[in-house]
Amino acid sequence: MDLTRNPELLDRLATSYALGTLRAGARRRFESLARQHPSVRAAALVWQTRMGGLNELQMQHTPDPVVWTRIDNLVRAEQQEQSLRTAREHAMAHRPDAAPAWWSSLGWWRGASVAGAFATVLAVAAGWHFHVQLRTELAQSQAQLQAIPQEAYVAVLQDDKSKASMLVTFDPRNKRLTLQRVGNYQESGDRSLQLWAIPASGAPRSLGVLDHDRLLKLTAGEADIRDVPTLAISLEPKGGVPGEGGPTGPVVFSGTLIQKM
Amino acid sequence: MTDPIPSASQADGERSAVRRGPRRPFPRFTRAGNAIAPGADPISTPSTELPQNPGMPMPLHSQDTELIALLDRVARQDALAFKQLYDQCASKLYGLAIRVVDNRAWAEDVLQDAFLTIWRTAADYRNALSPPMAWMGLIVRSRGLDFLRRRASQRTHLTQEMDDTMSESLPADTPSPMDAAQASEQAWALHQCLQKLASNQREVVSLAYVRDLSHGELAQQLRLPLGTIKTWIRRGMEQLRTCMARFG
Repeated sequence: MDLTRNPELLDRLATSYALGTLRAGARRRFESLARQHPSVRAAALVWQTRMGGLNELQMQHTPDPVVWTRIDNLVRAEQQEQSLRTAREHAMAHRPDAAPAWWSSLGWWRGASVAGAFATVLAVAAGWHFHVQLRTELAQSQAQLQAIPQEAYVAVLQDDKSKASMLVTFDPRNKRLTLQRVGNYQESGDRSLQLWAIPASGAPRSLGVLDHDRLLKLTAGEADIRDVPTLAISLEPKGGVPGEGGPTGPVVFSGTLIQKM
Repeated sequence: MTDPIPSASQADGERSAVRRGPRRPFPRFTRAGNAIAPGADPISTPSTELPQNPGMPMPLHSQDTELIALLDRVARQDALAFKQLYDQCASKLYGLAIRVVDNRAWAEDVLQDAFLTIWRTAADYRNALSPPMAWMGLIVRSRGLDFLRRRASQRTHLTQEMDDTMSESLPADTPSPMDAAQASEQAWALHQCLQKLASNQREVVSLAYVRDLSHGELAQQLRLPLGTIKTWIRRGMEQLRTCMARFG
C-alpha cells in the first residue's frame, strides 16, 4: 500500500486517525507511515486540527463559582511555594552547614506545598460532603471571616495519605486559633500533639499543645500567624516539647495556611 | 449563518429544567438511520451544497486577539489576566468538560485541572500555532480523558456499575446541540460542515471524537448494532471530508 500515491485513501485514513476510530494495528501502521512520510504527517495534522474544532462547538454551561475559588487558592499556594523555594534556596546558599532537620529539606517543603494545594481542595470537599458539623463550622467561620476581610486564616492539615485530619481557623480580631479534629486520629495517652508555625525562614515556632478534645481553642497573636506559609503538627512526649526547642517527633499532619481574601 | 444561540439565562433555565428528569441528550434513532427529531432541527437533512456564506463573523478575530494577549500575560504569571481569561472561557470549556466526562461534578474537577495546566503552560501557547480556544479546548479534552482513564483504572472492580451508570447517562433522545459561539475560524468551518450531516451522524462523530470512543465502544454505549455505527460514521466522515475540502 503506497499511501503517498493515493491521496484519496490517505485523506480517508487521516480522518479516521484524527477522529480516533482508527485503532490497534491500523493505527500503528498509519503512525509509522506518518513518521516516514511528511505528506502523511501533514494530512494527519490537518485533520487533527479540523476535528479539534469539535472541542469548541459544545454548548456553554456556567460553572459553579466555587470552581474559581478552588483554582485561585491552588494558584496562590503554588505562587507561595515558588517564593518560598526561592527564599529557601537563598537561605541555604548562605548557610551551607544548616542542620539537616526535616524543615530544612527542600523535598519536604515541596511535599508540604503540594499537600497544601490538595488541602485546599479537601477543605472544600470536606466542607461539602463529609462533615455536616464541619460545614456548619466552616460556614460560621466564613461568615465571620467575611465580616473582617484581609484578616482571617484557614488551613486544613492532612496526614501523609492526604486525608484531612485537622481544620485550623484563626480569628485575628479575637486572637483565637481554633483546631478541630476531623479524622479519627487519636494519639496514645503518653503522647501529645503539638502545633507549629513554620515560617518562610527560621525555625518552627510552637503555637501550642493539643489536648485530647475534638475542638481546641488556643490564643495566638496575628504576628505569630502572619507570613507563616505552613502549619504542622508533630507527635511529641506528653505535654509537648519542653523549652524553646523545635519539634522532636515525627510530623503527623501539615498544610498550607491560607489567608481568606 | 449559525443557529440562534440562546442567551445565558435562557440556557440556564433550559438546563435546570432538563436536569430534573433523566438526561436524554440523543436523538431516538431508527435502524434506517433517520433521527426522529421532534424539536425540528432545520438543517438535519444531509445536503451537499456549499455553505452560502463561508466567511466568518468579524468579532471572532478580535476575540482571538484578546485571548492571545491574555494568555501572553498569564504566561508572565499575571493573576489578573488569568481571572479575565477564566471569566471569558470558563463557560465554553466547562461545556466541553461536561460533554467529555458526562457528569457535572467531575467536569468541575476537569475544568479546575485544565485551568491549572493553562496557568502553568501558558508560555507554551506561543509555539502552538493554533487559535487560543482550540489550544485550551485540547487541554480540557485531554484532562477530561485522563480523568476518565484514572477513574476507570481505580474502579475496575466496579466496572459493571460504571457501565450501568454510563448507559443511563449516555445518548437517548435529543441531539445535543452545537454552539459555534466563541469558536475559532477553523471550528466555525467545521460547524458549517457538521450542520450538513444527518443529526445521528453528527452525534456519533462528535461523541467518537470528544470521548475518544472506538466503533465498538460507541455501539455498546449507544446500544446500537456495530454495523449501524460504522455506517453512520463512514457516511458522516465522507461528507465531512468533501465539505471541509472546500474550506481548504
